[in-house]
Amino acid sequence: MTTMLKVSNLEAGYGPIQVLRGVDLYVDEAEVVVLLGANGAGKTTTIRAICQMIDTKGSVDMCGVELVGMRPEKMAGKGMAHVPQGRGTFPELTVEENLQVGAYVRKDRAAIREDIDHSYTLFPRLGERRGQLAGSLSGGEQQMLAVARAMMCRPRLLLLDEPSLGLAPLVIQSLFDRFSALNKDEGVTLFIVEQNANVALDIADRAYVIEAGRIVLTGGADELRENDAVRRAYLGF
Amino acid sequence: MGILAVPGIDDKFFNLTLFLQNLTNALANGAVYALMALTVVMIYKTTGHLNFAQGEMAMFSTFIVYVLVIEQGFNVWAAIVLVVLGSMVVGAGIERILIQPLERRSVLAPVILTLGLFFILNGGAATIWGTQPHSPIPAPFPGKLDDKVDIITNRVPHFFVTYKAIGVWITLVVLVLLLNLLLKRTKLGLAYRAVAANAESSLIVGIPVKRMLMLGWALAAGIGAIAGAVIAQYRNVLDFNFMAAVLLFGFAAACVGGFDSILGAVVGGLLVGVVETFTPALFTFVGSELSLVMVLLVILIVLYFRPQGLFGSKRVERV
Repeated sequence: MTTMLKVSNLEAGYGPIQVLRGVDLYVDEAEVVVLLGANGAGKTTTIRAICQMIDTKGSVDMCGVELVGMRPEKMAGKGMAHVPQGRGTFPELTVEENLQVGAYVRKDRAAIREDIDHSYTLFPRLGERRGQLAGSLSGGEQQMLAVARAMMCRPRLLLLDEPSLGLAPLVIQSLFDRFSALNKDEGVTLFIVEQNANVALDIADRAYVIEAGRIVLTGGADELRENDAVRRAYLGF
Repeated sequence: MGILAVPGIDDKFFNLTLFLQNLTNALANGAVYALMALTVVMIYKTTGHLNFAQGEMAMFSTFIVYVLVIEQGFNVWAAIVLVVLGSMVVGAGIERILIQPLERRSVLAPVILTLGLFFILNGGAATIWGTQPHSPIPAPFPGKLDDKVDIITNRVPHFFVTYKAIGVWITLVVLVLLLNLLLKRTKLGLAYRAVAANAESSLIVGIPVKRMLMLGWALAAGIGAIAGAVIAQYRNVLDFNFMAAVLLFGFAAACVGGFDSILGAVVGGLLVGVVETFTPALFTFVGSELSLVMVLLVILIVLYFRPQGLFGSKRVERV
């Protein structure tokens, strides 16, 4: 199995405040890896640092290419897609335009059209609302649109930042079912940041736990599920 | 001979041809404001800044057109095309070199910088071309005394529409159509609108956001250059101050219509033009000097009921 993403000694923060204090993790090809952590532990910062959206030190290696120091808009072209926390959509564009923008780095117009239609079969609700402004969709639909949009650049690696945030339990379940299907059917590698550990560990192969900017625990999803500290802190036992 | 012969329905309270003449002036002035409002909107949409130097940039461009046409003997439209292209490059350059480094500092810094630009361009033009009005003024449209369409001539006053006024409307319509084509039908336009909607997600999908901010400035500078030339002829004045008042009303128009809406800029411009012209005509106690106050009153009323302007989009602050 080849390594898709290898993060070594990653340090990042906002101005004088350092959030990440040397994060090490890796994601293998076709894996689903979850990053668990409490509020303020550095989950979102980890994703933003991987995407080069904030100044970072250390190394982010994707398939042999060093990403640290690259501009954030270059990531999509490298096969990395990112669904940011909250609303990753373009509220003033229609659903269809959101998907077109998602394919911004691609030039193959016919294949883009096919992929948009494919998104509509994966997410039928989006197809029904293709002409509607994204801002008028419900929270769950917007999250689906954000995921479909991220898939439009045909990523090899999809980073999801708290996709369950603010969604109803039923919607969360169906969303994570889609993630699992994306991984199995389309072969997309997933790196998911989540507070909702239960649903995330269900579809994950491996997981990391981050605390105060450092990885404190790692292991297989089932192994972590049985870990007492994880059960107390994240699974509500 | 006029196009229409209208029977007398006037009384001492209402004079049809005077009304129509006022309305025409109002809508032509309004189109002038709409042109400047468009430039304000093009920058505001992506950067969220107001560019106070917008009018002076247009004024400077117009002086360059003047030099090319009157002093160098260029064809007026050839000169306008050249100056528009040059202005777009300069506009993009100002964004890249002056605005972008300030972007991270604070929200206010770029706005203060545009104020500084205002004074530099205003004083610069006065230094280079003097403070006296210049003539002849380059004429993009036929502008002699009898270059007009007579519509009603059997009444007093006559009702006619000058080619200059028609030229302002044509300019506005063509620019709006071109902008719509660019924004709605091209990938570049889609990327521009994406940045306006959500800059962070635009980076994620691979759009070079900073270049889109430069595009906003380039479009604004280009539109301003055309607008300046057309406005100078329509208002028959070209000096270092001629755009200041126009931009003030342009801001008013953008404010009424919504700072991020092209349609809003047009409707807002026309509305401001109508209010400016008709309040002194309707209420004799409002002198023409007070018409700006009436415009501000309209802004106040519109913003009371719709804080985002007539066609502006409500912005939710993203955390």
